[in-house]
Amino acid sequence: MRDIYVIGTGITSFTRLEYPLAEIAAYPAVAALRDAGIDKVDHIYVSNMGGGRVNHQTGLASAVVDHLSMFPVGAETIENGPASGASAIKTAAMAIGSGMFETVLVTGAERMNEVNALDATDFVASLSHPLAEAIYGVTLPSLAGMFARLYMHKYGVTERHLAMVAIKNHANACLNQFAHVQTKITMEGILDGKEAATNNPPIALPLRFFDVCPVSDGGAAVILASAEVAKDVAKKTGKPLVKLAGFGQATDTHAVHEREDPTSLTAVKIAAANAFKMAKLAPKDVSVAELHDAFTILEIAESEEVGFFERGKGHLALERGETQIGGKLPINTSGGLKARGHAVGATGVAQAHEIILQLRGEAGKRQVKDAKVGFTCNFGGFGNNVVCLAFVRE
Amino acid sequence: MQKQILGYKCKKCGAVHYPYRSRCKKCGHTEWKGLDIVFDTVPLPDTGKLLTFTDVYALPADFEAVKLSLGIVELEGGQRMTARLNIERPEIGMKVKGKVELVRDNSYQKNFGMVFYADK
Repeated sequence: MRDIYVIGTGITSFTRLEYPLAEIAAYPAVAALRDAGIDKVDHIYVSNMGGGRVNHQTGLASAVVDHLSMFPVGAETIENGPASGASAIKTAAMAIGSGMFETVLVTGAERMNEVNALDATDFVASLSHPLAEAIYGVTLPSLAGMFARLYMHKYGVTERHLAMVAIKNHANACLNQFAHVQTKITMEGILDGKEAATNNPPIALPLRFFDVCPVSDGGAAVILASAEVAKDVAKKTGKPLVKLAGFGQATDTHAVHEREDPTSLTAVKIAAANAFKMAKLAPKDVSVAELHDAFTILEIAESEEVGFFERGKGHLALERGETQIGGKLPINTSGGLKARGHAVGATGVAQAHEIILQLRGEAGKRQVKDAKVGFTCNFGGFGNNVVCLAFVRE
Repeated sequence: MQKQILGYKCKKCGAVHYPYRSRCKKCGHTEWKGLDIVFDTVPLPDTGKLLTFTDVYALPADFEAVKLSLGIVELEGGQRMTARLNIERPEIGMKVKGKVELVRDNSYQKNFGMVFYADK
């Protein structure tokens, strides 16, 4: 397979956006074209989960091409739940790697705030098993709540550790102008103080309001290219070359209760191992990572499953400050899903966007010094479909 | 007749799954009978121990309750299921006993499922 490079990237604010879904996908795409200094690509993949259900819009890819006035380029939409974004990047990488195309644009978008919070919850809950989970009223937060309960029981993780993830990621988001929740939070405010119970009500115990990501609208884009095109672009733009060195994907049972150990995220473990193997890298080589912290507990659990920390020890690394900016391995410098926001179909692309900025040294106040290897974990369903990506600055 | 939740037993290796799937999770076998895929059905036990649980406050729109209590139960014999709980003070590892009740009525469909109680 040929080498795969990233030549451009763009993002919208993750927030409530008052413009149509196709435009949310088009905006970061245009920004990515400008970033790369090119005006067309050979192919387009659009990642999105809810267009048909939430926005009454199907065939999104065609609408995005229309916005971009890039006829007659080929395009399709990729839906893989919350892992749609990294799935689309993986698919684009295979298209470049195979020699089929020289440049492929991936743009992800979601507009959830077209419906109210209850409908949004119900929409996301449609990821659960219809016969064995959804009939009971299972939602994604409830799966996370059950996971967290057992995980905390087994490994001595406390509510305090969960709060530390939220506090760290909110602080990072305050350094990211595109983040959804740019608000500093404190242990006093969400756990210890008199007002904490009001500020931080239960959602799916033991998870509370500040353990759960917001529902965001947003879009993000990357452009992948062959080595030949990428070197040409780098010469013109003067930006460092970033290589997509590895990708990995794995699946797991639909119903969480069927997993041998319901606290294992086996698909995360396998997807990460595959990405590292392809990139000829190891977890210890990573300088910055974006993990799928839809719930605070997931940042801790994933940091172990991808191989950064030993099983059951992730919360100790967090406690020591290793995962904050300035620590040994900063995690979720963008603010993560927790505070940058979670615009479902765009999230995997937004993770890649952050890593690309970090590896190019363009992350401003949240820049990780000398970041050379970046890693993303995009987590679909409740861990039933996971895509990991490994990036390297050359 | 008492309603039961059924597990699906592979015709080849005997592994029991819940919920239904089209190929055996353990050995990959599918038994064909003409154009039909067939598994033996076996009633799942109604007793077991509570593996984990949560109280959920953010509910889909068709629920009128303020909160729901949900859990994963490990049944006698090792099968597991996700279910509703009606237990005042749930604890990991406690013994539970369930029965089939109406669990979700979302205007177009009545769904029946297992509700577990403390097994004294």
